[in-house]
Amino acid sequence: MTSSILVQHDGPLTRELLLSPGDFGLGRVPDRVKPDATVTSVCGYCSTGCNLNVHLRDGEAVNLSPATPYPVNLGMACPKGWEALSVLDAVDRATTPLLRGADGKLEPVDWPTALNTFCGRFKQIQQRHGTDSVAFLSTGQIPTEEMALLGALAKFGMGIRHGDGNTRQCMATAVVAYKQAFGFDAPPYTYADFEESDVLVFIGANPCLAHPIMWERVMRNPHSPEIVVVDPRTTETAMNATLHLSLAPKSDMALFYGLARLLIERGAVDEGFIERHTNGFYEFAQFVEEYTLKLTCELTGLPASSIERFAEVVADGGRVSFWWTMGVNQSHQGVRTAQAIINVALMTGNIGRPGTGANSITGQCNAMGSRLFSNTTNLLGGHDFGNAEHRQKVADVLGIDESLIPHEASMAYPEIIEGILRGKIKGLWVVCTNPLHSWIHQNQCRDILDRLDFLVVQDMYRSTETAQQADLILSAAGWGEKDGTFINSERRIGRIRKVKRAPGQALADFSIFRLIADTWGCGEMLKDWTSPEAAFQILKRLTAGQPCDITGIRDYDMLDECGGIQWPHPEVGTRKSERGTGDSPTSDFRVPTSPERRLFSDGRFYHADGRAKFLFEDPRPLSEPPSEKYPLILLTGRGSASQWHTQTRTSKSAVLRKLYPQAVYVELNPSDARRLGIAHHERIEVTSQRGHLTATAFLTPTVQPGQVFIPMHYEEANRLTDAVFDPYSRQPSYKACAVAVRRI
Amino acid sequence: MAESVTQQKEPKRVVPAPHASESFTKADSEGSSLLERLLGEQQALTAVETFSRAQDAGAVPAQSRYYSALIPAAEPGPGQQFAFDVDLDRCSGCKACVTACHSLNGLDETETWRDVGLLIGGTSALPVVQHVTTACHHCLEPACMTACPVDAYEKNPVTGIVKHLDDQCFGCQYCTLACPYDVPKYHAGKGIVRKCDMCSDRLAHGEAPACVQACPHEAISIRIVDREQVIEDSEADVFLPAAPEPHLTYPTTAYRTKRVFPRNLLPADYHTVATQHPHWPLIIMLVLTQLSVGAFLCGFALEQFLSAGQAAALRPLHSLNSLIFGLLALGASTLHLGRPQYAYRAIIGLRHSWLSREIVAFGGFAGAAVLYATGNWLGPEALVGSVVWQRWVGWGVGAFGIAGVFCSVMIYAFTRRDFWRFPQTTIRFALTSLVLGIATVWLTLLLLSLSGSPDANAVIELRGTLICQSLLVVAGTKLVFEAGLFRHLAGRQVTQFKRSALLMACPLAGYTLARFACGVLGGLAMPAFLLRSVSETPQDPVVLVVVTGFLFIANLAGELLERYLFFAAVAAPRMPGAIRS
Repeated sequence: MTSSILVQHDGPLTRELLLSPGDFGLGRVPDRVKPDATVTSVCGYCSTGCNLNVHLRDGEAVNLSPATPYPVNLGMACPKGWEALSVLDAVDRATTPLLRGADGKLEPVDWPTALNTFCGRFKQIQQRHGTDSVAFLSTGQIPTEEMALLGALAKFGMGIRHGDGNTRQCMATAVVAYKQAFGFDAPPYTYADFEESDVLVFIGANPCLAHPIMWERVMRNPHSPEIVVVDPRTTETAMNATLHLSLAPKSDMALFYGLARLLIERGAVDEGFIERHTNGFYEFAQFVEEYTLKLTCELTGLPASSIERFAEVVADGGRVSFWWTMGVNQSHQGVRTAQAIINVALMTGNIGRPGTGANSITGQCNAMGSRLFSNTTNLLGGHDFGNAEHRQKVADVLGIDESLIPHEASMAYPEIIEGILRGKIKGLWVVCTNPLHSWIHQNQCRDILDRLDFLVVQDMYRSTETAQQADLILSAAGWGEKDGTFINSERRIGRIRKVKRAPGQALADFSIFRLIADTWGCGEMLKDWTSPEAAFQILKRLTAGQPCDITGIRDYDMLDECGGIQWPHPEVGTRKSERGTGDSPTSDFRVPTSPERRLFSDGRFYHADGRAKFLFEDPRPLSEPPSEKYPLILLTGRGSASQWHTQTRTSKSAVLRKLYPQAVYVELNPSDARRLGIAHHERIEVTSQRGHLTATAFLTPTVQPGQVFIPMHYEEANRLTDAVFDPYSRQPSYKACAVAVRRI
Repeated sequence: MAESVTQQKEPKRVVPAPHASESFTKADSEGSSLLERLLGEQQALTAVETFSRAQDAGAVPAQSRYYSALIPAAEPGPGQQFAFDVDLDRCSGCKACVTACHSLNGLDETETWRDVGLLIGGTSALPVVQHVTTACHHCLEPACMTACPVDAYEKNPVTGIVKHLDDQCFGCQYCTLACPYDVPKYHAGKGIVRKCDMCSDRLAHGEAPACVQACPHEAISIRIVDREQVIEDSEADVFLPAAPEPHLTYPTTAYRTKRVFPRNLLPADYHTVATQHPHWPLIIMLVLTQLSVGAFLCGFALEQFLSAGQAAALRPLHSLNSLIFGLLALGASTLHLGRPQYAYRAIIGLRHSWLSREIVAFGGFAGAAVLYATGNWLGPEALVGSVVWQRWVGWGVGAFGIAGVFCSVMIYAFTRRDFWRFPQTTIRFALTSLVLGIATVWLTLLLLSLSGSPDANAVIELRGTLICQSLLVVAGTKLVFEAGLFRHLAGRQVTQFKRSALLMACPLAGYTLARFACGVLGGLAMPAFLLRSVSETPQDPVVLVVVTGFLFIANLAGELLERYLFFAAVAAPRMPGAIRS
């Protein structure tokens, strides 16, 4: 290299950016953070479940890159995954427990004080108001082992009756829809289906931003698929559609009934499949008679030609897969809408074959773990609290007295909130979720949480909206600072690992639960839960004989060896309940024959008679239709791939912060803006019956006239939303309420 | 997220000391040992021991299975080079490329070399959203490289990659102004600029650049392009809608799409105006060099109207005054450098960089001015030997000064920003020189008058009117010229001029008002006042001091504010940006 007084082409500054071969199959990496070992860990944001290759130096993470061979992400990750480590170093981490003192300020305290206060206060409340007066709100963001321990500790150890998860806000609808239709909460697909479909139908889903790595799989589909997108907005995904159905908000149920009628008219139904594997088709066919093309056009606002084209695409499609997410789930009629989709998949025989399925894309990294193991709506392992046999089985596996197990499921999240309002619940334990940002009708929620006698927040950060209101904060370790497993959207169980030291005295949630058990006096009952991996072995046993049987997974190492394992994977000889593609047993813990497996290839569902059910009912009007005073419909949703939910983590990465607008903005159609006298980037006020916010106007034709869109990541958004819930799933309907907009 | 962490809360629920039951205390005593164990476990890192992945000895990176088709198998031939190729139909806006570039290149916490913008257009019936990933375009004629005074950029003759040489850079940041695509980014902590080098080291070893490796949709690849084709495309304006005109630097990135873009496709940040970094050392440097050059020139001009004795009486102090401001300016300019210790390297870019030329010209100016001023104080014999030589030195001061100001103009004109166009910038800098030059002449006269110099009083009496009238005309012209920008506010199209006018009218309104207030006070009101009073004799020294002080300070402050706006209100060309709120 040249070097003189005038010319210096090498030196310390150049060397700062030097790359060198990273080994471990990594290619070149920054020399400063060249690893001496690598381990893989499943990403802790969304349910895609990408595997990340963590670069270690002296055992501690220094960098990461997506893992190449993993069957989920094929060497890719979205920005959140790439930045997963940087959010751990934030200054607002809770590094010790914090207790609100007499002066109203949160002050650091040591763990014994925190644990004694926690147990003392909750016991005191339970003594005074009954054991039901303490409840917990959990999360889809912690490993399965932790949520199971929380569920066991709270319900069997502490006598807490009511607990629910933030999964109520994202997945409850899909859970109920599947349970009722299939007999078990069982998303049937594997990601290979994205690549094997001839037709992909996305309903209320924007995978380009919400699940970029699932979109990767769509982009790798070699069959030049038809892509139908059902969404009021022209999202990035809609831009890639061969047919975009920009329907009226919440009219998707009517659209699918209309579609079903057209398909029946055309004879595009799989009568053999219907006959052999379903119940209720003829009632359904009769029901959809009413949904003529004309009525469907009226209800959806779509032109007849679009709906007919949709029917044509589905009828002629070959392998058709249906994918939905929050646009369907977060609705006042989400369950029946999801079932309207399931019905079409069933009647066209688009299930159980490669490239097909009625497929709910999950939200959070471990929502699927929560569905099976949170011990809230279901008894541990996808069991039923109401079933005496199930209770006995769980009691036997855990070595506890059956009488400790409640006979009914917990109240759902909205009932818990209402319980606080009615003074029935006085103590609340919030684990790794942020209701004061995310719960619907936020002003009311704030007022309600304020009525609690004792609010405990267990979180990585002391700065979340909910933590700021807490009486006690338990400082938790985050993703990357603890071990465990997640279950992703396609039922794949994968490991997360401890690759960083937690700051200060922060502890893994698993450890916090053990300490609480010990302090509460029920440590003995949970003595076998000594580590996440020990807990995993307990969970395995709980699934024996269930549709989600994972007794065939030897241990954590086997998960690594196989690139994660999808449920079911029963131990050899106990496979009677497996509905997946046939594996050939060779040993007790045989490797799955294929890294990508789907359910129902034999057409057998989980109802007692092995048949799937057609479920349907008439659509109901919007819970809050636009009025003269509030003439616009507010849609909410994900704003960018770099933001996650209430932003407690993604706001901590300087790089991610550069990738999304820093303050709340409102997408507004230019014709509405003209009418309201609003120019580009002006400040506007958005008002609903429940609250108001001020924001920047962003004029775009991608939202229809009469609608506005606000990303949910901004705390203000839920000041406007209306606390309306699906009657079956109790999931909040975030995506349609009436608002007014004006210039300020 | 709430911006600040408040842990204040009404103390309405006071937490009483826990009422410990018997079993509870018992659990507690056992709990503390468990606690210690768990706290210990939490800090133990065991991932490596519990997991033994055999070190992959294979030379081929695992990820190559996905990217091998996305990079060229061979080196470019003659007349060719490497280029980014972006398939817009595959760019979904996930922005993984930005984070991968950040992580795999080991950039600093807030540093990013790639950006993703957004284009929006169409109608409500057929809207279009298009995300656009962008980094350095490795141009055929990189403006950064031409602008760089220290040759800290090199364009590889084979690959065409434009690489920044970090250890060569002295942090003048001129490339950040010159690049139409806002690519080079200044790193204040390190005092240098850094930028994308297409991961040239990776490409040299058969690996794909970080962004290419990381795009889930294979939207970014490296292709070999023909330079002739790049020129042809650039001249036909085939690049990307709403991007800066490609014929300026011949960017090589190819943006491809099968979509038909509507004609109203605009960047998501099109309607936002953002103030630019003001560069205070440059503001001071520009204003004071222009003051100094203007003062010398106005001094020379005034001498034409004076007797030899009067001129000789004026010259020493005036040249000293002018020199002091000139030296202050050069001092300020070094503060702008991230690594001022390498300021001398600036001479190596003389053949192509206006910044090098400016530094050399003002270097010559300062040298000549020191000689000239010293000669004026000590007598020409002491230094240059004769009065004739002294006059030549004076001419040299003027020539170097004018050349320096001209180079200053060219530095900004070279960036092709509308607000900094050659005619406008020439008028601006020339008038600043004259306004402050005349003001400095007046300051010299005041100082001499206070020291009791009869010559100075005579000059004020005889030529005061001329000086004041000149100032009124020059300052008035400048204010009118500057205010002329606001006529663009009436235009419907958001041109660069309109953006500048909007910036001055809205976010920078305070500066704009102050600028015009100072201009009117120092350039119009004070000279008008003086115009009345110069005819009166004898002068009231107090009034003279106050009025001259106001005149000089107001004009200087006014010009500093004008130059602040010159930087802060410039509309910089850039690639389409994302939504801003």
